[in-house]
This record gives sequence, structure tokens and C-alpha cells, in this order.
Amino acid sequence: MRYQQNLAWSVLLRLFHWSFALSVVVLVTTGFYIHFPWTNTMLEGGRSFPVATMFYIHFIAAFVFTAALLARLYLLLFGNRQERFWDFLPITPKNIVNLFKTIANYLYISDKYDRRLGHNTLAGIFYLVTFILGLVQVLSGFYMLYPENVVWQTWGLRLLGPMQQARYLHYLIMWYFIFFAFVHLYIVVWSDIWHKEGLISSIVNGRKYTPDKS
Amino acid sequence: MSRHDFGNEVNNMRVDRRTFIKGCTMAAAALGLSETMVPKLVAAATSAQRPPVVWLHFQECTGCTESLLRASHPDIGRLILDIISLDYHETVMAAAGHQAEQVLQETINKYNGKFICVVEGGIPTKDGGIYCKIGGRTAVDILADVAPKAAAVIAIGTCASFGGIQAAKPNPTGAVGVRDLVKGTPIINIPGCPPNPISFLGTVLHYLTFKRLPRTDQLGRPLFAYGREIHDQCERRAHFDEGRFVEQFGDEAHRQGFCLYKVGCKGPGTFSNCPAVRFNGVGAWPVGVGHGCVGCTEPEFWDTMTPFYERLPGVTIPGGGEGIVTGATSVGMKILGVTAAAVGIHAAVGIGKRVVKCKKCNKTPDEQE
Repeated sequence: MRYQQNLAWSVLLRLFHWSFALSVVVLVTTGFYIHFPWTNTMLEGGRSFPVATMFYIHFIAAFVFTAALLARLYLLLFGNRQERFWDFLPITPKNIVNLFKTIANYLYISDKYDRRLGHNTLAGIFYLVTFILGLVQVLSGFYMLYPENVVWQTWGLRLLGPMQQARYLHYLIMWYFIFFAFVHLYIVVWSDIWHKEGLISSIVNGRKYTPDKS
Repeated sequence: MSRHDFGNEVNNMRVDRRTFIKGCTMAAAALGLSETMVPKLVAAATSAQRPPVVWLHFQECTGCTESLLRASHPDIGRLILDIISLDYHETVMAAAGHQAEQVLQETINKYNGKFICVVEGGIPTKDGGIYCKIGGRTAVDILADVAPKAAAVIAIGTCASFGGIQAAKPNPTGAVGVRDLVKGTPIINIPGCPPNPISFLGTVLHYLTFKRLPRTDQLGRPLFAYGREIHDQCERRAHFDEGRFVEQFGDEAHRQGFCLYKVGCKGPGTFSNCPAVRFNGVGAWPVGVGHGCVGCTEPEFWDTMTPFYERLPGVTIPGGGEGIVTGATSVGMKILGVTAAAVGIHAAVGIGKRVVKCKKCNKTPDEQE
């Protein structure tokens, strides 16, 4: 079978993806430690700072996370066709049809796969949810990082409530990211096996393959 | 001792009963003892068999005695004078001259092996010890006479503990601390310039109650008062961890009460209970009022802790040396900058491509797809 090769993802999107993925792994690992500091030490605080060090790594990863989200926001508006939001959200009849076809295919109800060069609509919806929850993490995170800062305090109080509420939300959304990471990995591997479009390598080299019908 | 006797004993004192019990409770708290131990401390402190005290002054400024007696909270000073039966103390005793020296001799011979010797000040050893003489005898001779007969020696202040300012380089008089001269008698060091009266009171009450000196660190300092670094108990510690430092005295950070490490605070190298116990009964201590710790409880602090207003080397600040919040913010700004650059490059390439394409399409319309 012959395959046609098409460029799906720009360099910037691939950079976004990997910095975002890496930052989420680091944020969840250090975030868990901050939530439950499971190590203990008899060393006095002037000699070792495990919690402070974990916080430091968490904060830096948070900036990577924020920067990645901002880059993605730019690409949602000014990226290539596959990267813009109207390509994968259920806002056009074509995309709504794609949503149902994808669900049917994922549930093994239908063998037909509605091929897209970019995201399918089901994935697109979850990416948008992830994006919005990511913004909530950024707001609640900076609200806690700079508690005295007037801007973060104002918006944190207005949108999230008192600090403890923001902290709780920040913790709960962490679980969404853990859930998302596992489901994402499962579907990517599953799709790579079933749909043979080189999905996993596409996020490295930017290219997807479609069977050449001609 | 019955409850009635106990009350009478306390009532005969120069401080009122309430102050006395309060002082014993403060000492018990400083020692880390349960409140149920307070009556035992009170009983020991009022016991008729409590040992007399001989207080020796050598190379010193009398600052330790002064801070003990003239604290803004004078009750502690009076309490100490009530608890210890002070037979010889050059600053406060009424006797003078031969009479005073006679009292000293009588006490150390009568209570041989039973009295407590408190030493204030360093002891000069150079040139036969001629740089400090009292009643015609050198400090070395007096100490050699008194210390072996004492049940225990309490070195009060950094001078008596480690030599202090007169032992600073080049140490012209060859001054040393008690521990360098006295062997065989238990010695406890209460360093500080001056030390906190509560640390001295706690040590004395511990000795009276348990008939032994409190546990000490390797420098002979009681662990209840010198067991932890100032840095680890400091109220400004969060500013250190998060990277908020005073850069100059009087700057905005100083007014905000940030960490004094960069203007020379020696808290990360100094062991004492100052942040917890504080001074003068008004809750004040150097760092609390905006001045860094100078490290006065440490040996050779005049040589190793100076200059007082330059930072102590070899202290790890978490977060890449800037503090976790300040450090993460500066790294974060760089990350955001790189991202902005990447987005800018992406936008520039996109616009550039479009311009090139349009030029092509204008020139050769056939190539248009």
C-alpha cells in the first residue's frame, strides 16, 4: 500500500506539545510531594530544604506550563489550518459529523474512520477542556505563588474565592491532568495501531500518513 | 516540705511569691520541662541545703552581671540572687579588700566540693598571667585555687566560655576560657555577649533540682538553650527561603522586615535560643528589631564572624541562590521571553512566506495554485 505524506504540525506546535507534556509530568510529581511530603529528615532546615526545593522546581515547571499554554493560544488563532480552533471544535456540520463517526469508531461500532490531517473533533473537545483547565491551574497557581500581589489577589478572589478554595481546586484539577495523560497515551497508541497514520511520530516529525487511494 | 512551709519559705524572699513561681515556670519552659516539674524546681530553689555560689570576675566588662541584674525585667535578676546563695561577687557584695578575700577563702574551704563557681570573663595566661590580678593574685592562680574545690563551674558569657574579645587576634594577653584551664571539675558554658539570663537561670535550677548539669553540646553549652541554630528558629526565615532580602539598611526591604542575611546576619552559623526566649522581658531580640545576629555565642566570634555587615559565606539559599519565589520568577521570565521569541519567529516566518508567495503570484500568475 502506498502512503501519502502530509505536514500536519508546525515546529512551534511540536515544541508546545513536548514542553507542555514535560511540565505536566514535573508539576504532578512535585505537586504530589507538596501535597504530601513523604520524606522526612532530622537535618536542620539550614542544611536541606526538600519542600522548598520541590516548590522551586514546581514554580519553574509552572512557568514552562504557562509559556506553553500562551504559545498554544497563539497557535489556536494564528497557527496552520490544523492548529486553529475551528478545525477541531464541533462548530461546523462537518466537525459534528466527525465527532459521532469518531465515537462510533472508538467504540468499535463502526470500522470506518473519518481521517483528518489535524485533530478529530472528540480529541479537539478534550484539548479545549484541558486548555481551559490549564488556564485555571495558571490562575490558581499564580494566586498562591504571589499571594500579596494585587492583580493575582483581585482575580483569584473574584474567580476562585479564598486561598484555600483555590488550593483545593488546584489539587482537584491535578487529577484531571493525571487522568488526561493516561487516556491520551492509551488512545494515541491504540490509534497508531488501528489507523496506521503514524500518529505517534507525527508529534516528533510533524508528518502524518494517509493511504494513497489512487 | 509541707505546703505551709513551702509558702513561708517563698514569702520570706525579696521577690513576691507570684514572681518567684513565674520565674521558675519560665525556666522550666526554657528547659523543656513539663509544668508538673515546676513545684520541684520551686522546692529545690528554696531548699536550705542549696549550694553557695562564688562568682569570679576576670577579664570582662561586667556586662553579663549588668544584663542579669539591670534587665528591664528586674525580677529575673532578683530571682537569681534569691535562688543562689551568693557568698562572693565583687560587683554586688558589701565586703571589700581583705574582708572580701577572707569570705572567699572561708566559703571555698567550708563548702569544699559543694559550692558552685561562676566565672565571668576570660583568663590571661601570657607572661605569668600578670594582665589580670585581684588582691595581688593572678586570675590563673585564683581559678586554680577555686575551681578544683567547686562542685561545678558555670562559665557565664563568651569571655569565660571561649576567651571572648580579649582572645581575638592577636590575643595580646593570651586570654583563654575556663575550659582551657580547668580539668576534672564539670564545666558548663553559657556563652553570649551577654547571655540570656533565662539560660543561666535554667542551668542553675536544673542543677539545684536534679543535682547535675544539663546535657550539653560538644562546646559545653546546654542543649536546652544552644541546641538549635538561630536561622532555623528565626521569624524572618520564610523571607530567606523565598528570596526576599534586605540589601542595605534602611531600604524598602528593611522596612518590610525581610531577611537580614545579605547585610551580614550570622544566624545560619550561630546556636542560641534568642528567637524563642528573647530579651528583657519585652519580647525583643536583635533580628526582631532589624539588626542581624553577630554570632556572639560562638567560639572566636570576633575573628570568625567579622565583618559583621558582610554575608556569611557557604550558606545555601534554596532556589538557585536567589530564594524559591524570586529564583523561580527570574527563571520564569526567561522562559516567557524565549516563548515570546519563538512565537515571534513563527509569526515572522508566516508573514515572510506570505509576502514571498504574493510577490511570486503577482509576477507569474500562472504558478498560483
